[in-house]
Amino acid sequence: MSIFQYTFMQNAIFVSIFISILCPCIGIFLVLRRYSMIGDTLSHASLAGITIGLLTNQNPILGAFIFTSICGALIEFLRGYFKKHTDLILTIVLSLSVGTAITIISSGKLRANADTFMFGSILTVTRFDMAMVLILSIVSVLTLVFLYHQMLYIAYDEEAAKVAGVKVKRINYVFSILVASAIAVSIRIVGVLVLSSMIALPVATALQLEKGFKLTLIFSVVFSFIDIMLGLFISYYLNVAPGGFTALISVAVLILVILGKKIYFALRSFGGSYK
Amino acid sequence: MIKAEDLFFSYTGSSSYLLGGINLEIQKGEYLSVVGENGSGKSTLMRLLLGFIKPTSGRIETQAKQIGYVPQKNDFSNASFPITVYEALDSYRRLLKIKRKSVVGEALEQMGMSAFAGALVGTLSGGQGQKILIARALMGEPDLLILDEPSTGVDISSQKEIYGFLKKINRENGITIVSVEHNLAAAISNSTLIYHLEGQRGQLYPPAQYAEKILRK
Repeated sequence: MSIFQYTFMQNAIFVSIFISILCPCIGIFLVLRRYSMIGDTLSHASLAGITIGLLTNQNPILGAFIFTSICGALIEFLRGYFKKHTDLILTIVLSLSVGTAITIISSGKLRANADTFMFGSILTVTRFDMAMVLILSIVSVLTLVFLYHQMLYIAYDEEAAKVAGVKVKRINYVFSILVASAIAVSIRIVGVLVLSSMIALPVATALQLEKGFKLTLIFSVVFSFIDIMLGLFISYYLNVAPGGFTALISVAVLILVILGKKIYFALRSFGGSYK
Repeated sequence: MIKAEDLFFSYTGSSSYLLGGINLEIQKGEYLSVVGENGSGKSTLMRLLLGFIKPTSGRIETQAKQIGYVPQKNDFSNASFPITVYEALDSYRRLLKIKRKSVVGEALEQMGMSAFAGALVGTLSGGQGQKILIARALMGEPDLLILDEPSTGVDISSQKEIYGFLKKINRENGITIVSVEHNLAAAISNSTLIYHLEGQRGQLYPPAQYAEKILRK
C-alpha cells in the first residue's frame, strides 16, 4: 500500500502544504527585522496554549493560537514599557509561558499526551485540526496580501513608513497574531521544540541567493516546501519524529545552498581569470 | 511652514534637557540647515519635527501638506535587506496611495538613476543610495523635505550633484527644505538660513553671517 493511501499521511501532507506557505511568509518579516528569537519564544509559548487547551478539553491548536496571540501582543506591549531593556521582554514571556506549561503538565491533570506536540507527529492530525489550519492559513495569507507593503516597509525602513502614514504599532499587533497563526498551523507536524526552524531556516536559505524581496519570498516558500516534504517522507520511513528530521533537512538544505553558492563563485572567478 | 514654541526635550524625562527652550519658525520656501557639534541635538530636533518623538514640553505646528523624509544613508541602509531599487520605490508609492505606477520611473529618471531600477539597494554606493532616498521622498510631491546629513558617506562628485539638485528644487519649485548638516561648506553655500544649535538652544543666521562667525573663530 502506497503511503499516499493512508488517511493520516494525506492529512499530514495537507497540513504541511499550508505550513510551507505560511511559515516563510511570516518568517521573512521576523528574520529581516532581526526578530527570529520572537518566533522561538512564541513557539515555546504555544506549549502553554496546548496544555491549557488539553486541560479544558478544548482543541489544543485553538488553545495554542489564542495563547500565542496573547503572548505576541504582550511582547508588543512590553516593548513600549521596557524600552531600555528589550532583551528582558522575551525572558519574561518565556518564563510566563513555559512556567504555565510545566505547571500544567507536572500537575498530572492532563488526560492527553503533550509529548507529540513537543516533537511533532504525523499520526495525530485530526479533521478539526485540518479545518483550523485551513481557516487560519486563508485568513493569514489574505491579511499578509492586504498589509504586504506596510509590513515590508516596517521591516525595511520603519521611520520612512511612519512618515508615509503607516500605523506601525497597530500593524505590529496584527503581525503578532499572524505569527501565532503560523505557529498554531505548524505545531501538530513540526512540534514546539524545532518550530522556529520552519520560520527562520527556509528564509535564511533564500537570502543566500541575494535576490529582491518578492523573489526571496518565493524561494523561501520553495525551500520550505522541499524541507517539510522531505522531512515528512523520510521521517515516515525512518520511523522518527517529523519535527526533528525536518529541522535537520532545513539545515542540510541551507548548507548545500551555501556550498553551491561558494562553488558557483569560485568557478566564475576561475573562468574569469582563465579568460 | 513649521513653528516650534518653547520646545524642551530630554531623553531621560528628567531636567537634563538636550534641547531647552527652542523657538523656531521656518517660512515656506526656506532652505534651513541645522548645524552644531555632535550631541548638540540636531538629529533630535529633526525627529521632533517629524513627530517620531514627542517634546517633553512646548509645541510644534507643521502646515506641510506632504512631508518627504530622507534618512541618513548609513542609519537606514540595511545592506543585507533583499530589496531592489524598484521594489523599494514602488512599495513606497503604494504607501503614499499614489495610483500612477509611472511615478517610480519618473522619480528615478529625475535623479539619473533609471539604470539601477533592478539593482539590490544594498549594492549601491553611498551617493547612489542617497539619490534613491531623495527620489523616494519626492514621489509624494512634498512641500516640505527633511534630510538627515545628506552628504554622509557620499563621494564628492555625488555631493555636488545632490546639493545642486536640492538647491534647484528649493529655488525653482519652492520646496521647503530642512537639512541636518555636518557639512558646513554645503550649509553655507546652499541654505537660505542656518540654525546653529549649542547649549540646548539655537540661533538663526543668514549664511554669509554664519560664515563670518566661523572665520572669526
